[in-house]
Amino acid sequence: MAAIELVPKPVTIKRIIEESRDVKSYVLQMSGSGKMPARPGQFVEVSVQGYGEATFAVTRISKDNQEFNISVKRIGHLTKMLHRAAPGDIIGVRGPYGNSFPVDEWKGKDIVVIGGGIGLAPLRPVIDYVLEHRKDYGKLEIVFGARAPDDILYKEDLRIWEDDKGISLYKTIDVPFEGWSGRVGVVPIVVKDLALKPDGKISIVCGPPIMIKFTAAALRELRWPNDKIFTTLEMKMQCGIGQCGRCNIGEKFICKDGPVFSLDQIPEHAL
Amino acid sequence: MNKWYKMKHADMQKFVSALTEKWEVWVPYRIDGKWEFGIYDTGRDLDFPESVIHVSLKNLFFPKRRPIATYDENSKWSLKPVEPEGKPRIVIGLHPCDVAGIEYMDKVFLQSEHKDVMYASERKRTVLIGMLCSEMADNCHCTDRGLTPDATRGMDAAFARITDGYLLKGLTDKGKQVLRSEYLKKVDEVPDKKDWPAGRYVIASPEEFMEMYDDKIWHEMSDICLTCGICTYACPTCVCFLVTDENFKGKGERVTVWDSCQLQSYSRMAGGHNTRKTPASRVRNRTLDKFAYSHLRYGQISCTGCGRCVMVCPLKRSFPQLGARLTERIKDKKKGKSKSGARSKEA
Repeated sequence: MAAIELVPKPVTIKRIIEESRDVKSYVLQMSGSGKMPARPGQFVEVSVQGYGEATFAVTRISKDNQEFNISVKRIGHLTKMLHRAAPGDIIGVRGPYGNSFPVDEWKGKDIVVIGGGIGLAPLRPVIDYVLEHRKDYGKLEIVFGARAPDDILYKEDLRIWEDDKGISLYKTIDVPFEGWSGRVGVVPIVVKDLALKPDGKISIVCGPPIMIKFTAAALRELRWPNDKIFTTLEMKMQCGIGQCGRCNIGEKFICKDGPVFSLDQIPEHAL
Repeated sequence: MNKWYKMKHADMQKFVSALTEKWEVWVPYRIDGKWEFGIYDTGRDLDFPESVIHVSLKNLFFPKRRPIATYDENSKWSLKPVEPEGKPRIVIGLHPCDVAGIEYMDKVFLQSEHKDVMYASERKRTVLIGMLCSEMADNCHCTDRGLTPDATRGMDAAFARITDGYLLKGLTDKGKQVLRSEYLKKVDEVPDKKDWPAGRYVIASPEEFMEMYDDKIWHEMSDICLTCGICTYACPTCVCFLVTDENFKGKGERVTVWDSCQLQSYSRMAGGHNTRKTPASRVRNRTLDKFAYSHLRYGQISCTGCGRCVMVCPLKRSFPQLGARLTERIKDKKKGKSKSGARSKEA
């Protein structure tokens, strides 16, 4: 009989990228002929043997689905253990789980990606996808905010996006910082200042709960309808498959019915 | 044609003892005045309660602590799945509300994209021989939840107590096979039909419950609740669980363990963010999950009316009473008596 879905499979840490003072990214390699066919927005459950399991967004997927990335902010017990891991170490993974960003339905539209801090992590596969299928989409705009210059993730990607003439990139930090000559101000304010128009556009927003809430408010003020604003939600999860009970918003489970929702699909209090 | 067979009182013990040769047999035992299922020891006295058994059958299908994988603590990775196992078993003496609880667990664990194969194995190895209730206990209210105390739905075989013995009937092939015994005699008798009382804990509709999300009543209700979570342990349909690693003397186990939505740690994430920090938000989540969300998810509310949550509640208030109180409030609101309260900002 097949094993219970909750038992993870081993993956090898192929490479570790130091992203910021408390975030590391891991390039994970599936074992044998194993695949991780994750679509943009899906997540995985990652295990460190003896320490348990937690939920992470897939932040990059290789074309052959044999490698994928996660980004881990050191914040609790398991993430501390992950930060101690080295290339070559074996950890566990199961998934991919959840729904995904409906990127195919967005063809022909401009895409506005709005990320706050580690919130950029689940959005990066959408950027990758749009860049891979450039002809199918209109303009790509990226708003990315971090608390301080030290908290900026994906520096290599940001450089590439900055140099790409087809991308409008707006980088900002929350408060002034010595040596920072770029934009200053929290993401919702930047969104308002940029006066991003909703016509022919889709926006995807992810960041700390408070950032999502105020960014959504800023977009609505700019007359964005709820069904054109997408977000990916996070709540405490254990199973990832709609059985352990805890990640519900009303009758919906974030792990199964989400994590991707347009704002017309969730009640206001969910933000 | 009558399908009921009769067995003498004195023969029940012999019948069940004979079953233990091939099966693991579970029967109700009375321990300090409370009924609980346990594995039958051949020759022990056998008795059945007239109504609900205090401890639900949940643990037999979805154990409190369930190893799903093992590993060697000294290795970096040696996690091996635990294979489902166990000999065929028979549970004798469960009631219609127990069946309703199992049917709800089936919806969660079996009617899922990722079927729980360990749960499926526990279900597959078990034959259910139910007993028709002969009375409704103090907190029973299955008749308010669409059940009948003497219904046989979902059982493999059923039996009823009569003055001079038992009447038994096979309902499925498995059940009929178990009842093939020298102790059963064909008769013309059938169990008495009863008119069962209803109305103890009538509740509003799922739609009406959903409309109460923003009401201030959750604060009032959480004021009379300790959020101790014992009702979720007793409930036959509360199946929330944690997945965690337990290390002991070098041997590690990955286990699922029962968890409770009433505990503060239930939704707390690394870093401290908690989407249901206040008792009010947790009481609301559980109440709406039982009476509304479950209906929206599975087309069936997840209260079976067994009343176990009332029996175990340290304040003896518990769920159906809170539900009934909420139902009163819904009625009042409709009549325009009450003002809408401040909204809790939590999920």
